[in-house]
Amino acid sequence: MKSFINIIKSDYLQRTRGYAFLITLCASLAISYTFVPEPNASYSTIRIADYVGYYNSAWFGYVTAIMTSIFLSLIGFYLVNSSIKTDINSRVGQIIATTKINNFNYLFSKVISNFLVLLTIVLIVFIMSVLLFFLYNDGYSFDLFQFIKPYILITIPAMFIISVLAIVFEVFLGKYSVVQNIGFFIIFSILMVFSPKTETEYCLDIFGSKIVMHQLEESVRIITNTDKNTDLSIGYILGNVKKPSKFEFNGVNFPTSFILSRFIWIAIGILIIFMISPLFHRFNIKEHRSIKKSINAVNKPSNLNDINLSNLPKPQITRSIFPLLKVELLLLFRKGKKWLWIVNIVGMVLLLVLPLKIAHQMILPILWFLQVNRVSDITTKEITNNVHYFAFTSYNPIRRLLFSQIFSVIFLMLLLAFPLLIRLVLSFQFTAVISILLGGIFIVLLAAILGIYSKGEKLFEVLFFMITYANINGIIFVDYFGGFDHPKFYLIQLAVLIIILGTISFLKRKYELYK
Amino acid sequence: MKLEIQNVSKRYNKNKYGLKDFSITIEKGILGLLGPNGAGKSTLLKMIATVNKPTDGIISLNKNNIAKDPNYMRKQLGFLPQDFGVYPNLNAYEFLEYMAAMKGIGGENLKPRITQLLEGLNLIDSDKKPIGSYSGGMKQRVGIAQVLLNNPIIVIFDEPTVGLDPEERVRFRNLISDLANDCIVILSSHIVSDIDTIADKVAIMKNGTLITHGDQENTIDTVTGKVFETTINKEELTTFKTQQIVVSTSRKNSELIVRYIAETPVKNSTSKEANLEDAYLYLTKIN
Repeated sequence: MKSFINIIKSDYLQRTRGYAFLITLCASLAISYTFVPEPNASYSTIRIADYVGYYNSAWFGYVTAIMTSIFLSLIGFYLVNSSIKTDINSRVGQIIATTKINNFNYLFSKVISNFLVLLTIVLIVFIMSVLLFFLYNDGYSFDLFQFIKPYILITIPAMFIISVLAIVFEVFLGKYSVVQNIGFFIIFSILMVFSPKTETEYCLDIFGSKIVMHQLEESVRIITNTDKNTDLSIGYILGNVKKPSKFEFNGVNFPTSFILSRFIWIAIGILIIFMISPLFHRFNIKEHRSIKKSINAVNKPSNLNDINLSNLPKPQITRSIFPLLKVELLLLFRKGKKWLWIVNIVGMVLLLVLPLKIAHQMILPILWFLQVNRVSDITTKEITNNVHYFAFTSYNPIRRLLFSQIFSVIFLMLLLAFPLLIRLVLSFQFTAVISILLGGIFIVLLAAILGIYSKGEKLFEVLFFMITYANINGIIFVDYFGGFDHPKFYLIQLAVLIIILGTISFLKRKYELYK
Repeated sequence: MKLEIQNVSKRYNKNKYGLKDFSITIEKGILGLLGPNGAGKSTLLKMIATVNKPTDGIISLNKNNIAKDPNYMRKQLGFLPQDFGVYPNLNAYEFLEYMAAMKGIGGENLKPRITQLLEGLNLIDSDKKPIGSYSGGMKQRVGIAQVLLNNPIIVIFDEPTVGLDPEERVRFRNLISDLANDCIVILSSHIVSDIDTIADKVAIMKNGTLITHGDQENTIDTVTGKVFETTINKEELTTFKTQQIVVSTSRKNSELIVRYIAETPVKNSTSKEANLEDAYLYLTKIN
């Protein structure tokens, strides 16, 4: 039991003490600030036809709990789906494998640790929702129970299931992070589309938010006394010109079966972990590598005495950046599974054959996002691979090395976008061409700066996912590649942003290199 | 050719120093750097290699302050860090090409130079295989090869013999001796035998300060006449260690032969010829 608690404690501390987690918390704080729009805001998050609730405790509690349940279920998975991988990379796993802890206890401790990380974010959102209540409320008194109830019955069980799913994916698809990401996204999408109708069906809703949505819709239907569409819209709906009417929402009376179903889902989660624990590799993956080693490389003793230093051909000093670019590109192209290149080629073909608008708005952001593992470690791979001493003592590391790293990834992104660029040039859409060029540079510099500051890849990966997801859903605010119509100053704004990101990246790396 | 380190300190916070008021002048030849863990060896080497900047003091190579012009050092440096890594997807040849590009060297002689280094280090048969499939010793040899890519005038080896087998270690020492004819070699190691066979000069560090620096003979002289050997019972060892500086123990039947350092020997001791390991232990214990 003690080792079980120790693993949870150390894992939780290790993950939350990093700079990246601090940035994640700050981002959560900022995002949760937008969950309940201020009274005169031009956007809405949860709206039932033309109605929103009076700003009372129940509205704040339920809205923020549902928003957290949905968004943190999606983003949270990507935040926590590398806990076993961390033990593999740090080689702590090999030590754990030799201890008494059994597979179930280890995997379950990881689930709890994931759960605690997500709960920390939930806590931040909860605190923000209480603060927002005191800022915006419509003269209602504070009712703590109405705040806590939806979090306990909706958000917290959902976070537990996400923690379980993250471990299940790691156990079965540990080596295939891209497959993990895509697989979870498909599951998430299916769960979101699922629309229960009966009390029993609500029990099957893992995220637990559907029952609340249904009751909100029913409330508005009763008020309006009509059969008209009272569908609930959720997410960031921008440009709401029509001021919504208000209705009194006093929370939901959850049926006992629904409350019980939350506990059953948690129990199912634990049962799943129990069932998959015999299939866990228990860090036995190193053995496979050793076998590969003996097959691949011939270990012959060196013959150091034969090197006559004075007879070695003398190399010349060169300032050329091309040899660096060549190897950076080689590293990029060799990274990841080879079959992903088939997906890339399919994506490029789609850019060529699909209608221009779809290719630009949908295919390009997805194709670029599929490179997330290649882009995210642009400024962290030296440290990850322990090559930083060589890199940091190289000749002119800022002007030559950092530049070539950034340039090579921009080249990759634009190469993938090439079929679309050609089509746009041929149809004289030069603004769109410039938008894509700037968009490619922007996303690469964003990866560079986040890597330099957070010292890891996760932050960019999650942010890139959010940006891509928002773009696919047509949120123009995060359109960085000109897929939608924009005001005329859009390109200038993007260019200024690029200059800022680039300057900060170069200055910060310069400070880091020799301090 | 002169590397001057003048009153250099590395301060992490108000009271914590990695290195404190450290001064040493290093000229052509091999300097062996010894010291216990936390002595500040790696901190010093990283500052010389321009990874870190001193908080106080000046490090200059041939009168050029490397804090102001780190590239002056970088283009003439060969550095093998203690725990370096590689890009596992590259093969040895590609990795060395990358290192050469980082060092700012190229031209038509680069390819034959890399080939000759790979041949000399017996990596040529595996030079097209990804380095991720190499053994620890092979990776270490790739590290040695990258040091020799340019014509460094200052070479820093931090624990270079880790992962090398005994035969390779002997050959590596010969290579360093060869290197030292034309440049400054700084060799940091925990293994005293790696240093005492090849180093012209020895510097011993402790707690971020320099305890001693000079010729090996002078360093060893500090313990000459103070090294003894005696035989004791196993039970007596704990008490013996509290009274004397024990260098080593070896088992003989039920008794222990103890080599120790003392001003006055205990009964039944025989005097022994002092070596660098004795001097190192003595100086780090008494300071």
